[in-house]
Amino acid sequence: MDLTAPLLRAAAARPHILLVATPGGTAARLAAERQLRLDGLPLAPTPADAGILLVAGPDCPALRPALDRLWQHMPAPRARAQARTPEAVADAVARCRIELAARPAPGPASAPPSDGTEPPGGLPMAETAPDRDGLSLDQLHLSLGPFLADWPSGVTVRLTLQGDVIQQAEMGEQPATRGTAPFWAEPWARAAAGERVGAGEAARRRAAAHLDSLGRLLALAGWAHAATTARRLRDDLLDGAATGALRPAVRRFARRVARSRTLHWLTRGTGVLGADEARAAGVSGPAARAGGDVAARYRTWLAAVVRDVERLADPAPLDAAYDEGPRGRGDAGQPPSEALLRVLPGLLEGAELAAARLIVASLDPDPDELAAAAREVASRG
Amino acid sequence: MNGFTAALALLGVALLAVGVLYGAARTLRGTPEPLAAGPFGSGLEPAEHAVSRFHVRWYTITMLFLAFDMEMVFMYPWTRVISAVGPSAVTEMFVFLAVLVAGVAYAWREGALRWT
Amino acid sequence: MVEAAGWWPVLVAPALLLAGAVLAVAGDAMLAARYAGRPARAAVAAVPLLEVARLLAQQPRTLPKADRLLWRLGVVTVPVAAVLSVLVIPFGHRAVADLSVGVVWFNAMEVLTWAGLWLAGWGPNAAFSLIGGYRFVAQGLAYELPLMFALISPATAAQSLGVGDIAEAQQGLWFAVWMPVAFAGYLAGVLAFAFLGPFGYPAGRDTAAGVLGETAGVDRLLLQAGRWLWLTSGAAMAVPLFLGGAAGPGVPGWAWSALKTLLVLAVLVWSLRRLPVLRADRYAEFAWVVLVPLTIAQALVPALVVLDR
Repeated sequence: MDLTAPLLRAAAARPHILLVATPGGTAARLAAERQLRLDGLPLAPTPADAGILLVAGPDCPALRPALDRLWQHMPAPRARAQARTPEAVADAVARCRIELAARPAPGPASAPPSDGTEPPGGLPMAETAPDRDGLSLDQLHLSLGPFLADWPSGVTVRLTLQGDVIQQAEMGEQPATRGTAPFWAEPWARAAAGERVGAGEAARRRAAAHLDSLGRLLALAGWAHAATTARRLRDDLLDGAATGALRPAVRRFARRVARSRTLHWLTRGTGVLGADEARAAGVSGPAARAGGDVAARYRTWLAAVVRDVERLADPAPLDAAYDEGPRGRGDAGQPPSEALLRVLPGLLEGAELAAARLIVASLDPDPDELAAAAREVASRG
Repeated sequence: MNGFTAALALLGVALLAVGVLYGAARTLRGTPEPLAAGPFGSGLEPAEHAVSRFHVRWYTITMLFLAFDMEMVFMYPWTRVISAVGPSAVTEMFVFLAVLVAGVAYAWREGALRWT
Repeated sequence: MVEAAGWWPVLVAPALLLAGAVLAVAGDAMLAARYAGRPARAAVAAVPLLEVARLLAQQPRTLPKADRLLWRLGVVTVPVAAVLSVLVIPFGHRAVADLSVGVVWFNAMEVLTWAGLWLAGWGPNAAFSLIGGYRFVAQGLAYELPLMFALISPATAAQSLGVGDIAEAQQGLWFAVWMPVAFAGYLAGVLAFAFLGPFGYPAGRDTAAGVLGETAGVDRLLLQAGRWLWLTSGAAMAVPLFLGGAAGPGVPGWAWSALKTLLVLAVLVWSLRRLPVLRADRYAEFAWVVLVPLTIAQALVPALVVLDR
């Protein structure tokens, strides 16, 4: 009796999905997150847990080796698809699920990955270096990004760790992608190009962007219920829900998160970025307005969301000098996210790893903006 | 059945179930060979082996913990004899605990309970 | 009176534990569906079954220079220790073996998960796993002492370490009523040794699932099962320790045991998604400075009551 086929069919009924967004792929990522939430398909944090590798966003040649590595590390049965646009997501997921259920899983090669970059056991052992306590201790090098759950994809931070405390943080190079304009800053880009954009439309986009950032921060903080709520509200906003329909839920959410003593206790004192320090580094937007720790930054987002939800129907034209984009003002071709990256290494050094993840999430640089900036640099130079 | 036999029998049942799971997976999945994968490094290769002398910054807490753990060795049998021994049992145990808690307070003041 | 019966409880007890764990996973999936805005269809209840199928069908993985023996040993230890812990938990008026040192046995099995999870983190030779393994030890140093004092309070009140005796000693008033701090400390401890929800630090999303990050196939199934088996076992143990055991009017004792266990389990599952993860670097300080003195003070109460008796 063949039991393998029914087993594979049962396994394909609820595959875990490794969702990887490429820089410039925010719109596709949002569509994918929304669909996976409604289909009840869990997101896998690592390749070991995943059955489907779903790439959301445009091609990015610099990141292709990293993507292939994730794929090589995925156990059978597995399927892979790319959704370059939001419209392609549903089809890509459906195709992968059919593939998972049907194939009798020939399985990936059990030989080591063919590109030969990984000689088994050829790695060095960890070496020692002086620690801040004056001891000589083993160092581990670990890189956060380019692809990590709830991380601005494409951004790479190379960490030197002793224990789980960061001794040193270095930013990697930002990959450029061919692609569309940054999704979250799109109304401001259109207004800058001379188009008439309503302030209500911009407020809607900004509130959704903040809720997206909050979803990531809350997911990293391990508060599953609040993270899901943030993402639902974000999706409702992007669907065009009206102020009246959103107000109660948004207020309830903002009140619960802003007043949570536990979350405040867990985040206070981490990643302190004073307002003056922020402005000196060129940071504008919520991170500069908050002028404080992770807790101050998420509370600034929450207040902004509550304010913006009241303005969804505002017909006045967008005044970019007064109404900032979700991450602040972009000056002279420099997107605000670049300034956020500049302050990161200083904030990360000395932080515990979990706190470091929260710090990055509380600044939340936008990979789309960074990719577009890298593209401009590449085309100029 | 005495306690020892029962514990062994329960261990046997649990291990048998684990064995059956491994066996079932081996026969049922289409791919018997394991995948030679690499450690997850956010898409990048690791720079060195991860097994290393991990700097546990909470090592001072382990010292405190050991003190309390030894105290537990006395406290478990103590629960059975309180009324037999009388008030001195309670006094001695809680004076001992108070001494240990004073140690915790000292360690706290010295910042031993925070490591970031 | 708790009595030890023939050989059949050796099979029935693990089966009941497994059934409880399956219900807990299904309940958690139901809550997740509700929060995510999906209709809570009956199919959601099949989630635990689908997960088992998925993990049985999944190819296992090996990593370069992984310590496969220790890794496997760690992975197997977690669920096996959970099953062993039910040895002393009475269901109705029967336990597999009502040891005279039942509370110590439960405590010892729970501490085995420290070794198991640390090994499961060390074995794969992967940085995130390693950090996850050490995180559990740090978390253990924080939750263990309040849990031990919480366990010892009912034992002190009953002047016995046997679980059956403790259940019987509550004929007048449940220990949960007059030892609320111990009860709360115990429930927090259950979440912590099941490393779920607010105590999911060792398998946190910030470290790409930590100790779980590199496991696939049956290894992953066992670790995940271990978490939920421990949650169920902890909920079941709360009943004789704090909620009067199988005592209750009307229906037979086993029904009361099942009902109380499921209620505690429901509360625990509900709490999983309602709180952020309590990172050990913050929680350790809170546990030592607030919870340890509080639970010690709580243990003093039954000691004085016993003297007065």
